[in-house]
Amino acid sequence: MKDRFMTVFVGSLAIGSFFVFWTYASTTTSAALFFPTPLEVFRYFFDSMHTRIGKYTLPMHTLYSLKRVAVGFGLSSITGVLLGVAMGYSKTINAIIRPLFNIIRPIPGLAWIPMAILWFGIGETTKHFIIFMGGFANVVLNSYDGTSKASPTLIKAAELLGANKSQVFFHIILPSATPYIFAGLQVSLSTSWMAVLAAEMISSYEGAGWIINMGMQTGNTLMILVGMVAIAIVGFLLANLMRIVERRLCIWTVRGT
Amino acid sequence: MKNIKSKYTLISSLSLVAFVILWIVVTDVLHIFPSYALPSPITALKTFFRKLVQTSPDGSTLIVHVLASLQVTLSGYLIGVLVGVPLGILMGWYKPVDLFVKPLFDLVRPIPPIGWVPIMMLILGIGLRAKAMVIFVSAVIPCIINSYSGIKQTSETHINVAKTFGASNVDILRTVAIPTAMPMIFTGLRVSLGVAWMTLVAAELIAATKGLGYMLQIARTIGRADIIVVGMLVIAAVGALLTGILEFLEKKFVRR
Amino acid sequence: MDRERDIIISCKGVSKTFIAKNRKQNEVNNVVEGLDLIVYRNEFVVLFGPGQCGKTTILNLICGLETVTAGEIIVNGSKVDGPKPDKGMVYQTTALFPWMTVEQNVSFGPRMLGVPKPEWKKRTQYYIDLVGLTGFEKSYPVKLSGGMQQRVGIARAYCNNPELICMDEPFGHLDAQTRYLMEEEIERLCSKERRTVVFVTNNVEEAIYLADRILILTPTPTKIQSEYIVDLPRPRDYTSKKFLELRDEITREVEGFVE
Repeated sequence: MKDRFMTVFVGSLAIGSFFVFWTYASTTTSAALFFPTPLEVFRYFFDSMHTRIGKYTLPMHTLYSLKRVAVGFGLSSITGVLLGVAMGYSKTINAIIRPLFNIIRPIPGLAWIPMAILWFGIGETTKHFIIFMGGFANVVLNSYDGTSKASPTLIKAAELLGANKSQVFFHIILPSATPYIFAGLQVSLSTSWMAVLAAEMISSYEGAGWIINMGMQTGNTLMILVGMVAIAIVGFLLANLMRIVERRLCIWTVRGT
Repeated sequence: MKNIKSKYTLISSLSLVAFVILWIVVTDVLHIFPSYALPSPITALKTFFRKLVQTSPDGSTLIVHVLASLQVTLSGYLIGVLVGVPLGILMGWYKPVDLFVKPLFDLVRPIPPIGWVPIMMLILGIGLRAKAMVIFVSAVIPCIINSYSGIKQTSETHINVAKTFGASNVDILRTVAIPTAMPMIFTGLRVSLGVAWMTLVAAELIAATKGLGYMLQIARTIGRADIIVVGMLVIAAVGALLTGILEFLEKKFVRR
Repeated sequence: MDRERDIIISCKGVSKTFIAKNRKQNEVNNVVEGLDLIVYRNEFVVLFGPGQCGKTTILNLICGLETVTAGEIIVNGSKVDGPKPDKGMVYQTTALFPWMTVEQNVSFGPRMLGVPKPEWKKRTQYYIDLVGLTGFEKSYPVKLSGGMQQRVGIARAYCNNPELICMDEPFGHLDAQTRYLMEEEIERLCSKERRTVVFVTNNVEEAIYLADRILILTPTPTKIQSEYIVDLPRPRDYTSKKFLELRDEITREVEGFVE
């Protein structure tokens, strides 16, 4: 009980002193010239719930970003898992795809942005593509790991009990790969969020990334900060979303902390 | 056994060759893709060698770009490591530090590093400092997380053994906890470097006058896909090289 | 008695060699060499030997999980050629499927073989009850104790109705107390459901308690050194005079193996 209290107390102390410091810095030092106070940020944040920044309100912008993430992440997850599992299951497929994969993989997803713009212009496809490239390699890798590391003891046990090859695949190999696949999806989700921001900062007219970019271009610190708050909130939600889904589907795992 | 291994190596090599041939066919022979969208590998190769010494069309040679990018990356990275690793260790070992810093850390953590570019640009301008700060943020987060986890993994048994020898808290930290945490700390160093490099490239796409990201951006505006391809592969190669160096150091200094 | 017709397992001149690939040379490991072994129907045979003597390998060969390097193994009239469900195995590490419930684990074999649902449901429930796990049908292995997990493993092997069941030191990882309990469980189970069992252990008391016949194995390369027929009435008494005499005799014989 005391532990709980201490955690909350010190935590509030920390956040409190952070705000105090911020208020101090933004009112009395030279930063006051362009840096807003916490209060101003809060007010603008709640204002933008119904007032427009550019074309849309803050929630609408965020939804735009999330919609793009959904498409890109969905595509990279499905294709990534399919490819990774195929590579993990069949040594031949692995041998064919590996060299190409090893060349593509070290290219950071964000480095595809100029190429994507050249190919697809500045529309939605570009953003979907970049988000896809951001998460794809990781999902493939994790799916490959999980599939190829399926325990030979369990596979043999299943065979002895009478399972044929396809039964072994669906009942043994896939379930044992699931925790690995989820780990990959989690990383991919956070990379996707980063990718959409970068893509929006470079070429778009809406979205959370556009907000902070516009703030930078017009020297509007308030806009940047409000955008960052929205980004942090969504980032936090996405990070925990996967964790909750995973816990539901993998109740059977013995996990270390 | 040996036969099987070389069979797969053969398949891999054939696959690679087939891919290159397909690439050449699609660009130089059949012209399915215009050269401003996808260069042939031969053109890309030529451009690579040319750009090593040529400054057009963006004002610097390839080597200068690489060095500029590396400079920003490494400065931000080093500061990130020097701050992040000790901070993570302290947070992992001393509860009060943990209780105080963690909430602030949790506020900052969900923001992807690239999201810090606008605010840093506004405060520090377009030069090296702003980008180095962004890289710092990107590197410090994995360092803190991994050092923290590493310290937390120290086994109770080991700590108790040290205590029976009369070791003080600081001694135990130095002789038991930190060595135990070394593998995870190195993992943090590796991950941070990867993130730092990736974040820098993105930051250079947004606002820079030199560097690989800048080179890519300019090349795009004038439709030079060959420079883009060269740039992307160089980015990949340098990233892989940096990670490789760290892995090598890890093998040497971390006894598993 | 004409026992020729009742031979379930026949191993003739079986050898198994493992080649471990080291950096410079290949390490050749003759685990089993020239093994001759016969097991009769419904017999409880114990393979007894010190650690590291290829006992697990012999079980794996009988079940088809490993292939012989020389010689042949015939189970129930046909040559062993890969894992087939007419043989069952209880593993030392339980090898339960962690993502399946107790019921799904125990019913795995029948389900894969296409047994209709009402039938496998009934059979599964019977064996779950038989091993004393009634009520735990929907539990996941991670929530069960070591002893309970092993019972699931036993139920799973039995539920598939194999001709013979191999047990590879199934109680090796359990504490002494649970071990005694499990030995009694197996005794009870085998008296209710008579099956051919090949049981591996390095615990002499366990061997005498459970076996109809004990085969003493040599260290690698493994062969059968000697055979003891255990003629005591069941269930056996660990402290009876004859039990203790047998225990001394076997212990003395095996002592020579420990350097």
